[in-house]
Amino acid sequence: MTELSDELLVAYVDGQLVREQTRAVEKVLEQDDVVARRVDALKDAHGRLESAFEAILAGEVVEILATPMLPPRLKPQRENGLARIGVAIVGIGIALAALVGGYGWPLVMPNLTALPKPAPAITGSTSPILGPSPTAQSANLR
Amino acid sequence: MRRELIAMLPRLKRFTDVLVGDKKEGRALLRRALLRMLNDRLRYQRDIPFDRWAFAEIYQLWLGELRHHADPLRQAKVSETDFEGLFPQEQGIVFDALTANFLEHLPPQQRSTLLLVYGEGFNYEDAGQVLDLNADAIRSRLIRASASLADRLNSKSPARAQGRHHHRDALSQESAG
Repeated sequence: MTELSDELLVAYVDGQLVREQTRAVEKVLEQDDVVARRVDALKDAHGRLESAFEAILAGEVVEILATPMLPPRLKPQRENGLARIGVAIVGIGIALAALVGGYGWPLVMPNLTALPKPAPAITGSTSPILGPSPTAQSANLR
Repeated sequence: MRRELIAMLPRLKRFTDVLVGDKKEGRALLRRALLRMLNDRLRYQRDIPFDRWAFAEIYQLWLGELRHHADPLRQAKVSETDFEGLFPQEQGIVFDALTANFLEHLPPQQRSTLLLVYGEGFNYEDAGQVLDLNADAIRSRLIRASASLADRLNSKSPARAQGRHHHRDALSQESAG
């Protein structure tokens, strides 16, 4: 009988051996019933594990289809359209009030067509604010 | 990332369920892990396959939480009823009580190793990447588990049991010789 370790046989069953090693194990299997039966048992174990995990996966698919697992996606919060319109109206109202209250526009429009008033001629007259003009002062001195 | 996670959900759920050994706890662990992955998505490096990364994230979270328990060994124990609950009861799906019982009594780390290799089809290196182990450690876990299950199967089957005994006798004769 050829002695092959479980380590080698498990690697063979799992398909982890290189080609030469696989061929060598297969040669032994053809000649040694004991090793062949051990490989059968390991293959059976391998197959049962695969089937068990497949069965669990089948159950998971059914369960997940019934109940979502992921948390809901966080969508960017949409602002209330009416609230936005309200805020805009209030803003426009405040702006108009400032215009009307501060400058009188548009209730009092400047008369753009009217001719500008001629500038007062600089005479010897005395301005109530600035006092007598320098020409008047010099005339008085004389 | 969200789309990739949704596509993987059944596999991720199976991983958490098998790891924890209980559907309810598995679901809770998966939720926590998903939230962590979505919040820390920038940590994902594109050079490793997404599924390996996601499994590793779940495993690290589970391991980290387990370490915080006063008695991690007790925490990791699974009840028979809870574990059998992982297998669907639908018609047409054969329940393998022997394998279910075998898996239930394995440590969670060993169960998850078997799942990654025999359920997910990962090679030893990829499974090691998920569980933060080298390929040799994965190999030795698989050998222990596979040999143990094969022994159980032999003991259940008289013909195989005979063969197994013969093998053991032959080995002892050889070693004696």
